[in-house]
Amino acid sequence: MKLSHSLIVLLITAAITLVGNFAGYRVGLLEALPGILILVAIAFAGIILNKLIPIKIPSVAYIVTLSTILTVPGVPGAETIAHYTSKVNFLALATPILAYAGIYTGKNLDALKKTGWRIVVLALFVMVGTYVGSAVIAEIILRLLRQI
Amino acid sequence: MKNVRLHVLVLILVVIAELIGTKTIPVGVGNIVLLPMLFAMILGVLITPKFLKIAREKEMDDAGSLIGLTLMLLMARYGTNIGPTLPQILAASPALILQELGNLGTVFFGVPIGVLLGLKREVIGGAHSIAREPNVALIGDKFGLDSEEGQGVLGVYIVGTVFGTIFIGLLVSLLAAVTPLHPYSLAMATGVGSASMMTAGVGSLVAMFPEMEEMLTAFGATSNMLSGLDGIYMSLWLALPLSEWLYKKSYKAKYGQLPEPSKAVKGDD
Repeated sequence: MKLSHSLIVLLITAAITLVGNFAGYRVGLLEALPGILILVAIAFAGIILNKLIPIKIPSVAYIVTLSTILTVPGVPGAETIAHYTSKVNFLALATPILAYAGIYTGKNLDALKKTGWRIVVLALFVMVGTYVGSAVIAEIILRLLRQI
Repeated sequence: MKNVRLHVLVLILVVIAELIGTKTIPVGVGNIVLLPMLFAMILGVLITPKFLKIAREKEMDDAGSLIGLTLMLLMARYGTNIGPTLPQILAASPALILQELGNLGTVFFGVPIGVLLGLKREVIGGAHSIAREPNVALIGDKFGLDSEEGQGVLGVYIVGTVFGTIFIGLLVSLLAAVTPLHPYSLAMATGVGSASMMTAGVGSLVAMFPEMEEMLTAFGATSNMLSGLDGIYMSLWLALPLSEWLYKKSYKAKYGQLPEPSKAVKGDD
């Protein structure tokens, strides 16, 4: 995808998020504007890094790393960035993604119909097994480390 | 990108979902939370051609191609919660790293149940991991996706795609309400699957424990990143051999004889 296309999609998502952030969390559009623009800039920078650096690392990894570094206490401007981005509720950012995902999921319904009931039951157990397995190990280690 | 109809539909869905807001359902000792993002997803499915026919085939295709990009703002936002909490994240890194082994929980749980349900080698593909994109690619590479193993992984993948986000959101909420597991542990474990599964899980936790928002989102996002890094090796070196072994044991226990070897053309190498 062309860089300009990516930027436009990011800006569209940002605009939808601002409206949702107002509708759901009562944060004014102008109040959240600097924060969402910072997020767009970080995301776009991550996409560019992915194109510039020849090693195959997904854009998402650059984006999380970049925004983590920019907000580590002590880094110049970290508090300002954290302050503005905190105006954008992370749940408000998730809602548009799942709306797109929901519309796309319509495409998978036929494939789901063809999947036998045994696999459906298996899949539910797989999700529970993976999740509970991880949660229990995390709980044990955190208790051993006396962090909870 | 030029599909204005799609973006307008999403905007309408988001506004409706946010206006419905977060709903809580009491269950015994606690509450299950239903987040706006879950309503947005369900409404999204409902407007597709199978149901209300408001979105067309074209919107479904375009939406699919955009999900990756729309996720990026959320990922940038997660980073802004990891940065300020970095010292705590590093202090908890043994827990974050070791909980990745929890992925093997699915093998111990899923393989015997799969065999009990009457599934054959589909179990190996389907129960070796939570079956996200990298796992599908791995099984495709090793056995071919038209093999029994391939059918298993694809089946679990599709169920996870359709129900996974909502299921994990509800599961996390339920476990937080009825078990003594700490919200931090529950947050770390949300990283096991896709980014939307993690977000639904962490979102449920944040709705229940708003004062812990920064740590919960940071733990979830870090764990999700880690799974992205180590998941494929975990599957290849630990989960797949373990699934094979446990499949043989379970099969013998149920049918009294050893199973037939894989019919997959690519086979082991």
